[in-house]
Amino acid sequence: MSAWRTNTCPHIWLRLKALIHRRAFDRDLEDEINFHLAMRERKQQNLGLGADAARYATRRRFGNVTLLKEDIREMWTFAVFETLWQDVCYAARTLRKSPAFLVVVVLSLALGIGANSTIFSVLNMLMYRPLPYPQPDRLMAIWETETGRETSSEPPAIADGADWKKQSHIFEDIALTSYTEPTPLAGSGVAEQASAQFVTPNFFRLLGVSPMFGRVFTAAEAQDLTQTVVISSAYWKRRFNSDSKVVGKSFKVSGVLSTIVGVMPPGFGSFFGERLDLWVPIDAESARYSERKDHWLIAIGRLKPDATESQAQLEMGVIAHRLEQAWPATNKGVGAKVVPLHEALYGWAGRYLYPLLGAVLCVLLIACVNATNLLQARIETRRHEFALRASLGAGRGRLMRQLLVESGLLGLAGGALGTALTFAGIRLFRALAEDFPNIDSVTVDIRVLLFTLAVSFATAILVGSAPAFQAARADSNLALREGRRGATTGIAGRRTRHMLAVSEIALAMVLLVGAGLMINSVLRLQQVNPGFDPANVLRFEFTVAEAAPYVERLPGGDIERVTPLVTAFYRQLLDKVTVTPGVESAGMITPFDFERTFSVLGHPAPPPDKTPMTGFREISSTLFRTLRIPLKKGRYLSGSDLPGAPWAAVVNETFVRRYFPNEDPIGQRLLLRSSDLDEKQTRQIVGVVGDVKRYLGDRRPEPMVYTSYLQQGSDYRGGSIESHLSQTLMVRSASNLDKQATSLAAAVKKAVAELNPDQPVTGIMTTEQYFARSIGDSRFYAHLLEIFALIALLLAAIGIYGSMSYSVTERTHEIGIRVALGAQRASILRLVTGLGLKLSCMGVGVGMALALCLTRVIDRFLFGVTATDPVTFAVVGLGLPGIALVACFMPARRATKVDPMVALRHE
Amino acid sequence: MLVLKTLTRGAMHGYAIAEFIEQTTDDMLRVEEGALYPALHRLELRGSLTAEWGVSENNRRARYYRLTAAGRRQLGEESARWDRMAAAIARIMEA
Repeated sequence: MSAWRTNTCPHIWLRLKALIHRRAFDRDLEDEINFHLAMRERKQQNLGLGADAARYATRRRFGNVTLLKEDIREMWTFAVFETLWQDVCYAARTLRKSPAFLVVVVLSLALGIGANSTIFSVLNMLMYRPLPYPQPDRLMAIWETETGRETSSEPPAIADGADWKKQSHIFEDIALTSYTEPTPLAGSGVAEQASAQFVTPNFFRLLGVSPMFGRVFTAAEAQDLTQTVVISSAYWKRRFNSDSKVVGKSFKVSGVLSTIVGVMPPGFGSFFGERLDLWVPIDAESARYSERKDHWLIAIGRLKPDATESQAQLEMGVIAHRLEQAWPATNKGVGAKVVPLHEALYGWAGRYLYPLLGAVLCVLLIACVNATNLLQARIETRRHEFALRASLGAGRGRLMRQLLVESGLLGLAGGALGTALTFAGIRLFRALAEDFPNIDSVTVDIRVLLFTLAVSFATAILVGSAPAFQAARADSNLALREGRRGATTGIAGRRTRHMLAVSEIALAMVLLVGAGLMINSVLRLQQVNPGFDPANVLRFEFTVAEAAPYVERLPGGDIERVTPLVTAFYRQLLDKVTVTPGVESAGMITPFDFERTFSVLGHPAPPPDKTPMTGFREISSTLFRTLRIPLKKGRYLSGSDLPGAPWAAVVNETFVRRYFPNEDPIGQRLLLRSSDLDEKQTRQIVGVVGDVKRYLGDRRPEPMVYTSYLQQGSDYRGGSIESHLSQTLMVRSASNLDKQATSLAAAVKKAVAELNPDQPVTGIMTTEQYFARSIGDSRFYAHLLEIFALIALLLAAIGIYGSMSYSVTERTHEIGIRVALGAQRASILRLVTGLGLKLSCMGVGVGMALALCLTRVIDRFLFGVTATDPVTFAVVGLGLPGIALVACFMPARRATKVDPMVALRHE
Repeated sequence: MLVLKTLTRGAMHGYAIAEFIEQTTDDMLRVEEGALYPALHRLELRGSLTAEWGVSENNRRARYYRLTAAGRRQLGEESARWDRMAAAIARIMEA
């Protein structure tokens, strides 16, 4: 027995051969049996029987030839598949006969499936696709956890990373890398900015990627004044025209002469798919980082082949503890946390995408319910056909299979069209998403196709099974007796149909509430008062090169000193821009910096863990007037707050509320301290201004200290000089900005170029554009949910319409009797719309309960509304039955036109 | 099992197999001869037999069946099982 089971392979092969040579097979079988019969017949004749007698005896002895042939033939063929094929052909024929049904069902399924595949393909790209490096599951990110906050994930201090690498035995290697950073190419004769990634020399080898040309960094390569760089293949093509002799060429990066040693292959780029031009080596062991205060590189480790994540976590805990003891000043309470690199980079995306997947699942469910409804209605009208087939001997199983094959065809057709829609969907997603990470690499790959196929099958089963069961249950006697009249469906069938309609409304309700909440949030975001007047203000960003002649590095340690050229550049630029025609005023401001602590002179020192913190920005004295930030007390900074004068500071209202609740802030003296450097000179508060939003979704204003760029120290530690070198120039136009934004931008760029032709200017946009961008995520989310909710609404409306339509057809007879008995048109109208209204109200009730549970998942994207905002719920809850009523109206009108004579003649 | 055993004597066509079984069992196991053919085809599909067309003693086209290695193995297993079964039945009958 076991022998033939292992031999199923030749068996399929033999069957296939028989299938292909079907005619020859039949002839052979015939021959074989005829041979036997002939031989026997001769023998019988030899025994003395007559020709006829011999033939009969032979036949008797052999048995039923036709039956035997049938048996053998069945043995050799794929009977199951062949009847299935018959079913498929039959299903295709019957479906083609009702094109309207086909179009509606396939289109709605395609919309549902396409939406699912689109969201899945984004999820697939971010969450399920392995990192594009060899053995990606061995790559881990290692974070530092802050004192007392075990769950925090911070980039480690660079020196800590270097120590980890030296002390770890579980990791093959540990490298440090930045994300991409805009880096000026000053000194290279082009006012251009490159996008650079700062990495330790072992970065490439750790990821397992080799250069296309040249080499990667050697361990020794990380000098300060001349350095080597590796460039990306895109940059090689763009700037060097794919020059094969590019290795050895030099250009200035951040003012440092840098020699190209290698070109990386195409496809090796940044983690999030944004532009990346070059890699700059970092020496993690440099004395620059010995203070352990530079937390701007993330650590990536490759586990040894047999090591596990938990072993690594254990070892890193021990190492972190060792570092705590060795460097108590900086590392006290600092732990280490090992997370798979993939999760560290893309884990956040789930929070965005899973709610969206839920939303499109709702859309698909509605489409399924629709299809089920229509299929069911069709079966009701085909009851006669089924009864006939059943009485002719078709088994229940065969009938059910017939229906499942039909729904399978519908599902697959929907899936095929849905795949086409997925391509469009991905394009739409890209257009809406703007700078969503890795968005360009979202494609329909094999996994997306498999997902689509699986969803199509699941859809087919979901859609087909209920009607199939019902059809199989149908009493053939009853159906045949009733003939073609298709009298009233059983109560069970009607109840199912009503339940389906209710669930459609409920699902649509959930989506509409979600979309409503998002729209509400976006509207509120757009109405936020930013605390200044953003109209007619054009903004420009620039960063002065962190190199000679603007910056000199003090020997030993990590201290950089700005030269007077920097403030001179700022001052000249402001002067030039201010006198440009069309400019009302101009000001400058540095990026937000929250890392400042301070003490107040004359106040008792708070305990070390309660040191007050504040945001800090350098500004030009003209900034407040340019942005029209209201003065609440004291004075603005002025032109007389010069380096020689006493240092002044302006604080915001939140600062006053938090730190001087019962005192007059004016005249108080502050001693500011950043984690990198303590200031020696006190700053006196001279004014209080209103709070300003940094972006529109900014929920909680931070305390702020504004100081003049002219009243700053000259020494900066650990790269903090950047906060002095990066500036945003705000220019208020004297007239409406819309018309002259371009000319104004050109004028400012020209002014910059006249002062320093190498200085790039970026991020040129109006403040309104800037704010619009800051709520891009919310708008993107709102747009997607709007689209899904609209599809859901449309499908639900079609569903209600179909359901009511069917119910009117089904009750034509009843309505006819009612009319004949004197029912008014209005009462017939009420009869139908009343049912629709009842169903939609039930749907709204269920949907409301569902929405209350589900909208919480988008809580984090909401602004100014709660996830259970009563207004949104009320609007949707009232609007949805309204739309359902409209969908009911056409069938209802048809019902009023029922001619009692025609309806009764059906009898 | 009978068919397989018969074929250990070499390739045979269906008629010869039927004749052989009938003769050696003295017509004890005579059934409808046609029933032999589904059995042969099933064994062929299972891989226990192979079949090819040849020319019979009297110059007619005939389908010859031949035992495969798998068929031989199957015969071994089945005859062993038969022996055990027969022995068991014999013991019961003797008891």
